[in-house]
Amino acid sequence: MKRLAIIGGLVVAVLAVAVYRAKLSAEETQVRIDELKIEAHAEEAAIATLRADEAVLTRPERIGGIAQQQLGLEPANPSQYVAPEALKQRLGEEKLRLPQRADGPAEGAQPQQQ
Amino acid sequence: MRAFAAPYPKDVWGPRRARIIAVGLALVFVVIVGRSAYVAFNGPDRSAVPVAAVEAVRRADIVDRRGELLATTVEGVSLAVDPSAIWDSRDVVAGIRTVFPDLREDALTAVMADKKRQFAWVKRGLEEEQIKALKELGVEGLMFVREPQRRYPGGSLAGHFLGYTSIDGDGLEGIERVYDDRLKQGGEPLELTLDASVQFVVEEELTRAFADFDMKGAVGIVLEANSGAVRAIASWPEMDPRRRGDEGDEAKTNRALNARMELGSIYKPLTVAAALEAGMLRTSDTFDVSKPVKIGAVTVRDQHPLTRVSGKAATAEDILAESSNIGTALIAQRMGVAQQKAFLGKVGLLAGHGGEGPQWASPLIPQRWDETAMATVAYGHGISVSPLAFAMTYTPFANGGEYVSPSFIEPVDAASVKRTRVMSARTADAVLSMMRTTVLQGSGKLANANGYEVAGKTGTAEKPTPDGYDPDRNITSFAAVFPASRPQFVVLVVLDEAQPRTGEQRTAAFTAASIAGKVIARAAPLLDVQPVLGATATRGIAPVTRTSAEAQ
Repeated sequence: MKRLAIIGGLVVAVLAVAVYRAKLSAEETQVRIDELKIEAHAEEAAIATLRADEAVLTRPERIGGIAQQQLGLEPANPSQYVAPEALKQRLGEEKLRLPQRADGPAEGAQPQQQ
Repeated sequence: MRAFAAPYPKDVWGPRRARIIAVGLALVFVVIVGRSAYVAFNGPDRSAVPVAAVEAVRRADIVDRRGELLATTVEGVSLAVDPSAIWDSRDVVAGIRTVFPDLREDALTAVMADKKRQFAWVKRGLEEEQIKALKELGVEGLMFVREPQRRYPGGSLAGHFLGYTSIDGDGLEGIERVYDDRLKQGGEPLELTLDASVQFVVEEELTRAFADFDMKGAVGIVLEANSGAVRAIASWPEMDPRRRGDEGDEAKTNRALNARMELGSIYKPLTVAAALEAGMLRTSDTFDVSKPVKIGAVTVRDQHPLTRVSGKAATAEDILAESSNIGTALIAQRMGVAQQKAFLGKVGLLAGHGGEGPQWASPLIPQRWDETAMATVAYGHGISVSPLAFAMTYTPFANGGEYVSPSFIEPVDAASVKRTRVMSARTADAVLSMMRTTVLQGSGKLANANGYEVAGKTGTAEKPTPDGYDPDRNITSFAAVFPASRPQFVVLVVLDEAQPRTGEQRTAAFTAASIAGKVIARAAPLLDVQPVLGATATRGIAPVTRTSAEAQ
């Protein structure tokens, strides 16, 4: 009986240690989760700030001004639009203008119409 | 001997002491074990870890239809003080005022003097330079508190429409207020139907208009006709949401939604459409508009005689192209009050907006809608509506006769778009053709953006005053549909008291039409509208031509 009590006590002690370790591990995990949440929040905040900065830097008036000053770009003019049919025709004209190779006509060149 | 023979007196306290000590030790043990168990099962106090703070819901972003950021929430820094920790408040106040000269010295001193307080806000939402300057002061008691702050990266872009939040993140105006509950739930961004690029073009053209015209205010609206999606809605002077309403009254007013205006002759296409639809007018019918007519108590006059054709035989197309008040009033007279009211009711001009989403001003309509009111309403006087409500009335001309309600939030589901047939496709196309003629040959020539087949109508309305109409102040407007051969968009430009600086007439033909043309020329490529050069056809109708015989 006494031996049984000792064994029982040992088992209870081992289980108590196991439970304590599990609890400790869970706490550590929880702390880690909290840390990761804080990190994620910090990253999200940083991303939000960067997106806001990007939006400020890509404002149309800023980009438009830079494009005009640095690259000489202007808003599209209707005359710059070409229908697909006209594009084919234009492509043909471009090919006609290709320089002649010494050994024959340029690749894709169209025979000149008389 | 007896003393030696007698047994020792029994020590009854011995076992009792042992038990008392044992019980005491047991109690100590129980306390130790109990506390250990409590610690084991409850863990350490984690209240110091600010997890709750990071789990707070972040107010959702607002983006345009292409995902461009219009409003967002970032972690900012605000300045607070601990008055109980400040010994020399004068030093602290003087230091703070070197960075924020606008803060009142007496107010700051009063805050610092309350030594019972341990926390008081000084300035919310600091800029980086301000934080640096404050830290360099090295004064006592300053606290830099991190907190979420609403930012508007586009500055004043769509400021009136977006609105703003309070410093604590509560929506106070515009979309921020209307969709406050949705935004506070966080999650995916709220996607507006606005196109930031088109919005920018409209706002820039309105701002540039101020260089050409001395004006009090302006409105620019671009709608996708088929869905009612609002692609741009601007009110000038612009309002910067970052100032949270700290603006002058002129800038505070969102004229596109909240102003009620008499918009003048841009009503004339509606009058013509109503009469055609009622069967009281044919496109070939002619009217004598060569002299003023008296209808009810009003004598209707034109500012100038017709130039394209004889004023004695003007068709509805001529009347629109040259904006004849007389002709429009005569058309309305044929139709009658009941038909006119019914039509304007169908296109949403006689009632306010009671649905979800942004609201706009309810109209001011004639209290007595008699013959006199009928005549003036026919050409846009005596009835005041919000510019957005009016812009929607042109959607039937682009949709083959179907009126659609405005949409502000993506995705715009085609099935959920509320459509109401208010006129036949034949009527819509006929009036559209007349408006195209107005731009090609009439008062809307300056709106003719090359390649985009603009069909539209000018409107010039004197402003009403308690003493009658003021001939020196007017509202000029231009309402348009483009491209006429495959209508996709409705544009409305309204200028309040626009006075050309070059001395030209202050009529819509020289003011609003010009701005509308510039808006369309720049916005059309952004809206993927392919230009058509050299064609003048409108949908379902032959190219607009007029023979010399007809013109006589």
